[in-house]
Amino acid sequence: MRIEPRRIVSRASITLLSIAILIFAWAGFSRMFGIPDLVPSPWQTFAVGREMLLNGTLMTHVAISLERVLVGYIAGCIAGIVIGALMGRIPLIGRLADPMLQLVRPISPVALVPLSIIWFGIGDLSKYFIIFYAVVIIMIISTAAGVTSTPMIRLNAARCLGASPWQMLRRVVLPSAVPSILTGMRVALGFAFMGIVAAELIAAQSGIGYLIMQSRTLLRTDIMFVGLVTLGILGALLDGCFKVAVDRTMRRYMEHQVNV
Amino acid sequence: MTKPASDGDRSAGRGARRIDWRVLALDDVSLTFNAGKANEYRALRNATLRIERGEFYCLLGPSGCGKSTILNLVAGFLRPDSGAIHLDDREILGPGTDRVVVFQDASNALMPWLRASENVEFGLSLQGLPKATSTKRAIQYLDLVGLADHARKFPYELSGGMKQRCQLARALVLEPQVLLMDEPFAALDAITKRIMQKELVRIWRQYRTTVVYITHDVEEALLLGQRIGIMKRGPGSSLKREIVLAEPYPRNITDRAIAAAYVEAEASLEEEVGATLHAH
Repeated sequence: MRIEPRRIVSRASITLLSIAILIFAWAGFSRMFGIPDLVPSPWQTFAVGREMLLNGTLMTHVAISLERVLVGYIAGCIAGIVIGALMGRIPLIGRLADPMLQLVRPISPVALVPLSIIWFGIGDLSKYFIIFYAVVIIMIISTAAGVTSTPMIRLNAARCLGASPWQMLRRVVLPSAVPSILTGMRVALGFAFMGIVAAELIAAQSGIGYLIMQSRTLLRTDIMFVGLVTLGILGALLDGCFKVAVDRTMRRYMEHQVNV
Repeated sequence: MTKPASDGDRSAGRGARRIDWRVLALDDVSLTFNAGKANEYRALRNATLRIERGEFYCLLGPSGCGKSTILNLVAGFLRPDSGAIHLDDREILGPGTDRVVVFQDASNALMPWLRASENVEFGLSLQGLPKATSTKRAIQYLDLVGLADHARKFPYELSGGMKQRCQLARALVLEPQVLLMDEPFAALDAITKRIMQKELVRIWRQYRTTVVYITHDVEEALLLGQRIGIMKRGPGSSLKREIVLAEPYPRNITDRAIAAAYVEAEASLEEEVGATLHAH
């Protein structure tokens, strides 16, 4: 797998160009608006951001939000894969759970924020809950879809090769569902990021959402923009890490699966 | 000329072989799909069939005649509505490693995330055999089917013929009593198909398992089978007649006995297809 140097250069330069266009569009928008207090320019934002990086406040909030995202995300992924696999493998459970899922699915995580504060308080627990909820629904659906789409011939092949029900699940069904599960995990990561801000906006004393909300009372739009930019960078970075990790470890499951 | 296998003299030698048996029998087997629904289909009606141990048996019939249904019944994927399937006096109630299937659709039948050697090891690893043992045996069987040089390739890197060799090795490594083959070469090009047929005969004679081979190709059935069972058309199919061919291998379709059998089988099949045409 060698990529020509020239192609790397051009790919990197296109990425840079894309980011540059975004920043200049933002700068143009800010200038057009004319009131820096409403739409701070990129340079203003970067200056404040740098200051906040240096005095450590930004990192504190980032660390707190990230911890909440990861706890809720990992728990949601594990629960979603287990429930989704059960639904996909045991028809009775699948048929029983599906209507529930269809009813619960349209309820946005944001709609649960007030309730989760009453249930779990304004601490970390209510944030974990919101993110868990956002992630688990997606993971149940994508895992169940992957599990049920395992080709019948592959299941029959494994049966005559002597697979027990447990070996069937672990050695045939789950590997067949990997592409679907990983796609779900990637989508869910994005939803986890949307969920954390929603949870932190309303009742929190830390985190990036809190940072954005708190700046409102001070009319500090520049800090708000620092929060937004941080969210963007963090999300893109995690997504990139996810992609690389999948590529490194899951390649044989991702390529050339003929199902679906 | 081959004779039925006499005893467990397989080269690999994994200790005592399973109970000896003589006859694989379907007795008065009937099966209806989607019973009671709008798309109800009576596939088999009182089908009776006897296959002897060590035999190469071809089941030949027009599409939709229920020959794959018979294979799925013997494999244990399906259960009959009435009648029974026995290996001697042991009734077949579900799938087992004594009856391994080679499917036509190799891309789905093989595990796409496993290398050729890992696919062959798959059944052994399910039994909890030590890795070193199963790897050794996998290599031995990859060698038997002529795939040793491609052991590290993934299925998508193998040609259609190679994939079927891989499936064959994956089945044979378990030393099954009966090898069930469901139109395994139907999707291959003509030349590859011919090569694979020769290879299969070679492997069968070396390995001496019982083969039940499903096909709709008259020529293929006559080149491979010691006995050829011709099925009636569906619905409610059963065995129509059998042709016994004691000709030695390798066979050629222009050999006199084979050519005569060809005319006979073709006429018999045409009757079935013709009846279908008139019925519509």
